[in-house]
Amino acid sequence: MAAATEAAQRGASVVVFDESPAPGGQVYRAPPAGYAMPADPDRLEGDALRAALAASGAVVKTGHRVWGVGGGPLVPLGEDAAPFRIDALAPDGSNSVTEARALVLATGTHERIIPFPGWTLPGVLGLAAATILLKANGVLPGRRVVVAGAGPLLYAVAAKVAKAGATVAAVVDLAATSEWLAALPALMARPDLLTRGAAWRASLTLKGVPILPAHRIVAAEGDKVLRRVRVAPLGGGEERVIDCDALTIGHGLVPATEATRAFRAAHRYEATAGGWVPVLDEDRRTSIARLYACGDGSGVRGAAAAPASGRLAALAALRDLGLIDSTTHATARSAPAANFARAARAGGAMARMMALRPALVAAIPPDTIICRCEGVTRAQIEAAVTDGATAMNQVKQFTRCGMGPCQGRMCGEAAAELVAAKVGGREKAGFATGRVPLRPVAMDALLGDFDYADIPVPRPAPI
Amino acid sequence: MDVIARRDMLTSVADDLRIAGMTRPAPVAFTFDGATFSAPEGESLAAALIACGIRRLGDGLDPARPRAALCMMGVCQQCLLRVDGRLAQACLVLVRAGMVVTPA
Repeated sequence: MAAATEAAQRGASVVVFDESPAPGGQVYRAPPAGYAMPADPDRLEGDALRAALAASGAVVKTGHRVWGVGGGPLVPLGEDAAPFRIDALAPDGSNSVTEARALVLATGTHERIIPFPGWTLPGVLGLAAATILLKANGVLPGRRVVVAGAGPLLYAVAAKVAKAGATVAAVVDLAATSEWLAALPALMARPDLLTRGAAWRASLTLKGVPILPAHRIVAAEGDKVLRRVRVAPLGGGEERVIDCDALTIGHGLVPATEATRAFRAAHRYEATAGGWVPVLDEDRRTSIARLYACGDGSGVRGAAAAPASGRLAALAALRDLGLIDSTTHATARSAPAANFARAARAGGAMARMMALRPALVAAIPPDTIICRCEGVTRAQIEAAVTDGATAMNQVKQFTRCGMGPCQGRMCGEAAAELVAAKVGGREKAGFATGRVPLRPVAMDALLGDFDYADIPVPRPAPI
Repeated sequence: MDVIARRDMLTSVADDLRIAGMTRPAPVAFTFDGATFSAPEGESLAAALIACGIRRLGDGLDPARPRAALCMMGVCQQCLLRVDGRLAQACLVLVRAGMVVTPA
């Protein structure tokens, strides 16, 4: 939203594609049509960003699922880079093609959930998923909820669930109390967030919600749906059983890099930014000319830092296209650069807390399903490595792990960590090559009326 | 197929799963696996089913990894089902009056 607003205000012709019915991503999400709910600070911030975008003159295409990216460097060898091409499915199911001279990616993140026995049971829900359920729809995940994982979302979700009248059976925090204390100095830059976090904790304490620091979920159990979880201290020790009808669990956020991977941009592995991220200069330029990345999708630094990074990306794009001169660029970038640095300090501390914890992956039992789409277990992934698969692409080919409809978005982190432990690090394990379609797309949306009979069959060659 | 969805243990408190103090659109009726439910028009189908006490959305390809909402943001593809015969992600579909939803 901020990138499009900045670019459009400065005279560029801008088109925004967003899969949601309204722009805002997950944190700044707008309420669905016909809903009215008490506004929280995120909503107010989102409303301000949406209003600025609406007034900017940018064309906003909501409900559009971008499944294809092309152009740019993706042209035959020796040819000049073409304009970028964006293929998107409109809400009516038709395909739209847009060309652009510059492309800013603001793809956000998806949740990392490190598998454990029973994580496939209905009733187990992502932590970010729970915030969507609560904030966008005003629906509780259950009546008796265990909130588990890492990062500030734990306390946001637990406080909201408790406030709405459901029981929070426990908050199971991977982080030790000392980790939260260590993060405090960085959070001092954002007293507003610190105050909110403290209020969440206080409300839970007041309600007598058990908070278990340095604990993990050992297993989720139930017959057809979740009935209880087993919880244990991280260092080992006595397990306890907690009855519940919902478990919301998240182990951090992973930048959505499928588009930069599809463009074959340079990436680097940075655990404290969420994992693989595109290599960027300080103005959000990727290694591909006129391709920019901003927000958490380019490295987790929190929603508060995202608008500033978007403005930096937009200004860089305008400069590279010759729409503003270098003096204007230098003046205009100083405010967002400072804002980004300030917000990223607090966001970075939270991102570090949400970074992948290898011990959690090491604790996965061999027969636990890692890839839910294709039903691939830890043992099968490790067997593939033993059989000679040395990187993620090969593991995918050997086992089908990451080949299903989610394209490795849910299993990728755990699978890569398992491979990394055997081949010597995440850089060696690499990542699955980004390919279109970026999202599943129905064949009839692409083919239209085209049918088998329309396939041109060459005449047989004369004998 | 035993879709527990025909209302599991949450049934008796299903309505309580919608947080009070919000203005919602008027409820409309839709069916899931043959049973009729009601939800505010425009609510996410995945949220509506959870609110109705339905968490298991079908057995999918393998009962060991049944269909269920997991990410709520269109990424994980675990909440796949059929809406009026077409494959759809429950978390991305909004409730409409008369929609016929079946397990995928």
